[in-house]
Amino acid sequence: MARVLVLLFAAAALHAAGPARKVFPFPYRQADLSNGLRLITIPTDYPNIVALYIVVQAGSRNEVEPGKTGFAHLFEHMMFRGTAKYPPAKYEAVLKAAGAASNAYTTDDHTAYHTTFSKEDLETILQVEADRFQNLKYPEPAFRTESLAVLGEYNKNSAAPTMKLFEVLRDTAFDRHTYKHTTMGFLKDIQDMPGQYQYSLQFFDRYYRPEYTTLIVSGDVDPARVLALVEKYWGQWQRGSYRPRIPAEPAQTAPRSGHVDWPVPTLPWVIVAYKGPAYTDTAIDSAALDLLGAVAFSENSDLYQKLVIEEQKADIFGPDNPDRLDPYLFSIEARVKKASDLDAVRDAILKTVDRFRTNPVSRERLEAVKSNLRYSFALRMDNSETIASTVARYVALRRTPETINRIYDMYAKVTPDDILQAARKYLAADGRTIVTLTGAARAAQAGGKAQ
Amino acid sequence: MRLALLLFLAAGLSAQERVVTLPGRSPLVTFRIVFQAGSAADPAGQAGLAHLTAAMLSEGGTRDLTYKQILETLYPMAVSVSSQVDKEMTTFSAETHVDNLEAFYKLFRSMLLDPGWREDDFKRVRDDTVNFLRVSLRGNNDEELGKEVLYNVLYAGHPYGRHNAGEVSALERITLEDVRRFYREHYCRANLILGLAGGYSPAFLEKVKSDFQKLPAGRRTQVRLPSPPGFKGLRMTVVEKDTRSVAYSMGFPIEVTRGHPDYPALLLAMSYFGQHRSSGGLLYNSIREARGLNYGDYSYIEYFPRGMFQFEPDPNLARSRQIFQIWIRPVEPATAHFTLRLALYELDRLVREGIPEDAFERTRSFVSKHVNLLTRTKRAELGYAIDSLFYGIPDYNSYVKKAVAGLTREEVNRAIRRHLNPGRLQIVAVAKDAEGLKRTIVSNAPSPMTYNSPKPKEILEEDKRVEKFPIPLSAADVTIVPVDRVFE
Repeated sequence: MARVLVLLFAAAALHAAGPARKVFPFPYRQADLSNGLRLITIPTDYPNIVALYIVVQAGSRNEVEPGKTGFAHLFEHMMFRGTAKYPPAKYEAVLKAAGAASNAYTTDDHTAYHTTFSKEDLETILQVEADRFQNLKYPEPAFRTESLAVLGEYNKNSAAPTMKLFEVLRDTAFDRHTYKHTTMGFLKDIQDMPGQYQYSLQFFDRYYRPEYTTLIVSGDVDPARVLALVEKYWGQWQRGSYRPRIPAEPAQTAPRSGHVDWPVPTLPWVIVAYKGPAYTDTAIDSAALDLLGAVAFSENSDLYQKLVIEEQKADIFGPDNPDRLDPYLFSIEARVKKASDLDAVRDAILKTVDRFRTNPVSRERLEAVKSNLRYSFALRMDNSETIASTVARYVALRRTPETINRIYDMYAKVTPDDILQAARKYLAADGRTIVTLTGAARAAQAGGKAQ
Repeated sequence: MRLALLLFLAAGLSAQERVVTLPGRSPLVTFRIVFQAGSAADPAGQAGLAHLTAAMLSEGGTRDLTYKQILETLYPMAVSVSSQVDKEMTTFSAETHVDNLEAFYKLFRSMLLDPGWREDDFKRVRDDTVNFLRVSLRGNNDEELGKEVLYNVLYAGHPYGRHNAGEVSALERITLEDVRRFYREHYCRANLILGLAGGYSPAFLEKVKSDFQKLPAGRRTQVRLPSPPGFKGLRMTVVEKDTRSVAYSMGFPIEVTRGHPDYPALLLAMSYFGQHRSSGGLLYNSIREARGLNYGDYSYIEYFPRGMFQFEPDPNLARSRQIFQIWIRPVEPATAHFTLRLALYELDRLVREGIPEDAFERTRSFVSKHVNLLTRTKRAELGYAIDSLFYGIPDYNSYVKKAVAGLTREEVNRAIRRHLNPGRLQIVAVAKDAEGLKRTIVSNAPSPMTYNSPKPKEILEEDKRVEKFPIPLSAADVTIVPVDRVFE
């Protein structure tokens, strides 16, 4: 019997005195099995449905060997290739009979496997999932076939110019860190995947281990029963020993730029990106940059109003500051309606960055942004699956839903001066990368028809 | 299911008011305001008018506030108002925390009932619509492009025959005055369905009902929807575009909609043949799982836009007419001929052999539980309840559960044979070398497969049949369309 450490976290009562109510409103239980597996159970009021998210803290960031990009994502595919006890057809039959919706996704930092189903199938689902995480077994021909499905995924994504735009942005902005490549990986590595069966086994052996894995179960469940079932089916899983050495990115010392010539007509894009901090819920940096992005570049900002609503030069515009384990990019992205306005839009972004490095934001604007963040979060908590999927994103960073409360407490604390300091620290020209994309002229493809 | 469907026929309300409510204890309140008029009501030469009208309300100012002021007001509440235009329905939806209910509703009401009709808003939403058609759909998404072109092909000359967002040349001609006229004509109480869910009070509901009395009574929008043009045999349209791979969509109109007696049987058959974004469907297993030809393969009996981004369909796309459709995700050009044959082979086999007994039981279990997932948010539950009103069926969950519980395998197979006729398929491909694809397919020459790994004997034997599977298309049956002509 595994020794289990159980922690209970109750959300502060709605009208309790003292600290403001926590943004994550559900009481949850967090339990650690002795093999290192963590279980987070979140009972909700939504009837009948249970959502299971299995978060493995391995993503494309973990792809440290040259020529092996895209493997975390390939592995997401391989996990559906069965075990001795449940070959793919049998596994599918179990999910089918349970009426389950099941899928998976991969990001830079983690891979998540998720299944949503009716509560009466809880034991069955926990059992088949435990089996594939511990006993995955696929022959080389199945591996070679699945690697082609990954190429198919690359193909279906490749119609969108933004995929290429982000490939070039990462490749330009990073020199050594694995954030240099996208989660899909480089096309040449994807084409080489069918020959990498042995490496795939090694990848599984390294990362598909309890100490890398967190189970999130939310919905119409009894936490004690969930824990008993998880101990029964997941308790025997063996801990691993591998620790990856992710190369640190050297400090950028000069502005960089890149460009994509898209072969067919499309609207131009410009991305202005800066090296940002790693996710943190203990220092103010991540929170200050999130708020800066919203104040300066969201639909509530003066610049959005000018470019999208008044001058109508851009039709897509906004900031992006994704939470990552290691320092990543804070960026401002714009799709521009006319190629002749591309430079003007870029310059307007740069001018705005300068303004926020010089002048503090107004308190009123800052409060509006804080309110937006709190209500955006509350509006997402409307069903068990979204609750689990939201927690999964944070669990990938800190392995506990408590980080949600910590980062939102941090948002509440951010002052105009914090934002000014964050802008000065991170939005400097030396850490900047600008990438543009322009399409072929429309007339070139029109077959003589005037546009 | 706690569905309270209230039909108010009298009591001071002049027109027949339709209100769908799902009260609850949630701290969120969901609105779905539906008008039963959509793109099928676009006048001749004005494709996109319904879309622009809805966009002017959801993305434009009110009489008192500019759009900029609206965004500023909504921002701290984190609420956005969205509109969706389909052939016969226009839906405005939004969700707010009860903390902000009164303030949000005051604004939302003005957006729908007192629009500002400003020229600069009009220019912006029209640009957005043109860019959606030209850039997002035609340029960036071969799969959605193929699906939408299929509808245009199947409904040529029919009120369903143009994209919901319209056509570029028509959009460029539409004026703000046209939009205002469309609003006056179709945004009336006769077309209105009010949908409200979550933690609102009874008094709030009464206020909403009373406010929407401001709309004119009007007349229900009636668009004649004849049978779509019949196709005698197989046809193919190739959209020529500079792209890496070949995307396919194919299908034909069916008589079955949600209210039809064969709907549950056909729903079960589709789940077996190609449940959306789910591994384990017959098409998926054959094309992707066993052979690795692409990323996924699915089938449908209801309109399902944006399927590459979402796992469940949006509600309030209810239609009087639907099509059967197969979606083959992009394949490498070298295997495009074989993949098309394989899809047709599997459809042919489905029609000939039907669903096996064990798969029937499993799929029945899936369908009856999966409906819980479809309606797991209040937002979706409310949308489905409104659609049930449109189709004249009970609430969707109990309707599907009850109906599939009573089905027999033979009834499903009979429905398949009755409604699915592979000989009527219209095929749409998006490809770079359109001429080459056409030449290859009409040649009907064998298209043998080679794989990068050993395959089981039964797959190789099946391939021998598939590589010669006839596709009865002559050169005259294949039309090539340059992508720049699509949706123009």
